[in-house]
Amino acid sequence: MSSEPRTVLSVEGLHAGYGHVAVVRGIDMRVAEGELVTLIGANGAGKSTLLKALVGLVPPSAGTVRFLGEDITRMRPERAVRAGLALVPEGRMLFGPMSVEENLELGAQVTDRTQTVGSLERVFDLFPVLAERRSQTAATLSGGEQQMLAVARALMARPRLLLLDEPSLGLAPKVIKEIFGALRKLKDEGLTILLVEQDARLALKHSDRGYVMRTGSIALAGDAADLLEDDDVRLIYLGAWRGEGESS
Amino acid sequence: MGERTIDIRTVAVLALVGALVFAVPLLTADRYLLKVLTFVGINVIIITGMALLFGYAGQVSLGHAAFYGIGAYTSAYVVTSLGWPWLGGVALAVAVTSVGGLLLALPSLRLKGHYLAMATLGFGEIMRVVFVEARGITGGPDGFSGIPFASVGGLAIDSAGANYWLIWGVAAAMLALAANLVRSRAGRAMRALHGSELGALACGIDLTGLKVRVFVISAALAGLAGALYAHVVGFISPSTFSLHASVVLVAMAVLGGTRSLAGPVLAAALLTLIPFADAVIPGLSRSALETIQEWQEDIYGLTIIAVLLFVPGGVAGALRRLSRVGRRWG
Repeated sequence: MSSEPRTVLSVEGLHAGYGHVAVVRGIDMRVAEGELVTLIGANGAGKSTLLKALVGLVPPSAGTVRFLGEDITRMRPERAVRAGLALVPEGRMLFGPMSVEENLELGAQVTDRTQTVGSLERVFDLFPVLAERRSQTAATLSGGEQQMLAVARALMARPRLLLLDEPSLGLAPKVIKEIFGALRKLKDEGLTILLVEQDARLALKHSDRGYVMRTGSIALAGDAADLLEDDDVRLIYLGAWRGEGESS
Repeated sequence: MGERTIDIRTVAVLALVGALVFAVPLLTADRYLLKVLTFVGINVIIITGMALLFGYAGQVSLGHAAFYGIGAYTSAYVVTSLGWPWLGGVALAVAVTSVGGLLLALPSLRLKGHYLAMATLGFGEIMRVVFVEARGITGGPDGFSGIPFASVGGLAIDSAGANYWLIWGVAAAMLALAANLVRSRAGRAMRALHGSELGALACGIDLTGLKVRVFVISAALAGLAGALYAHVVGFISPSTFSLHASVVLVAMAVLGGTRSLAGPVLAAALLTLIPFADAVIPGLSRSALETIQEWQEDIYGLTIIAVLLFVPGGVAGALRRLSRVGRRWG
């Protein structure tokens, strides 16, 4: 902990929303290189909108987003992906009638063609089941396999920062464990990850730090381990009233 | 669906169909039949662009007859009135319709939703009025006559057979280019945006840029077809380039099915031949033909409804099932 790690993402006073409805109201946050950071909060707190604003899918109305020192506020999504931010959208948004391999190749659209084979090997290494299903259409995969494909597709762009929107949504506990195992592995390889997750306990357990969002702003920030012990967080987001020791 | 490697069977079928199409002028001297089949070839050129626009990029244009008309009038005017060479007229027609397509697509595709369909509908109506009112260039409602046949370097393409080969040669070349485009990286991106726009955005695909490019290609192909048409028939008038023609083009694309070139091409051939049924059905009586022509719109409508109801995926869907059956038995 001697030298300060490089800042990958820094957000200052970010406002964003739909029309006149501000959903994100003055967010400040920072993600350092190699960190796994989780954004938790209730439904409608603005977590997904914040992620979308970071990659330009929802235009920010005020504030700045810096990525590796570069101002990327209001950058068009395709430029943001090229710059090195890749989003795994909520609901996966795969290309159903296309094969697993074609989905992955589309993820590599922004990279140099010569990198595609290497990227494919990497994601097949991470999710071996995708290699088995490579010529199957995405629509015929199980929910868990689809989520793996969505993560793999984002990795094909060789991002410097991976953004994930609700990766555990609708999946069985065993599959969720597998996905988070893969995220840990990616983190250990040095990838920076920012995660939005409903299942706060699960996400915080795997994270370095966390932010708690409430009605469009950051209510609380800190080390993941501290947040897991925080009384408010435990009460409101971790469902501690359901009883101690309950694992998710 | 999206195979990137062409198997030997497909090559054989394509070669056979190609040879058949190109052999027609050798097998028949019937000028009427050749002219009708030349019209089919012209519509194949337009529908190649419509298949890319509708079937791959998922966009609807209700104004492609206007680009068809702009191409026809542009080449007719500069070749007939200004004495340009035919190739120059065709090239200018393609250039003008490309720029026109770009100017129309840029503002309307930046907005989400069905603005492109609305913009093209308005554009088509405006151009219809222009074709009628710009008498100095278009000849007004009476039309533009005396357009010379195509000629390259003093060699006139003036027989029905030569025109047939010219049109089908261009059509085959455009289809080959489109097939290549569909199999390229850009083509895969096009199929992706038809599947999930948000997914395509998350992959870093420039959706607007891609849609604009496809629209420009389709407008240029319509312009090319229009220029060729003008010199094949020698006379053009505004009624050929009306909203009705645009709707028939959309009908061909819908009937043909999405993510396919062969489907829309067959659909275009089918719908083009309906009013000229006597050319391909020998012995069809005069009164039967008149009945068909009288009920043409209704036949179009019923055909489309029947296909959408009973043949899922349109002609392309039927072709896919056929090829699957062929593979099983072959």
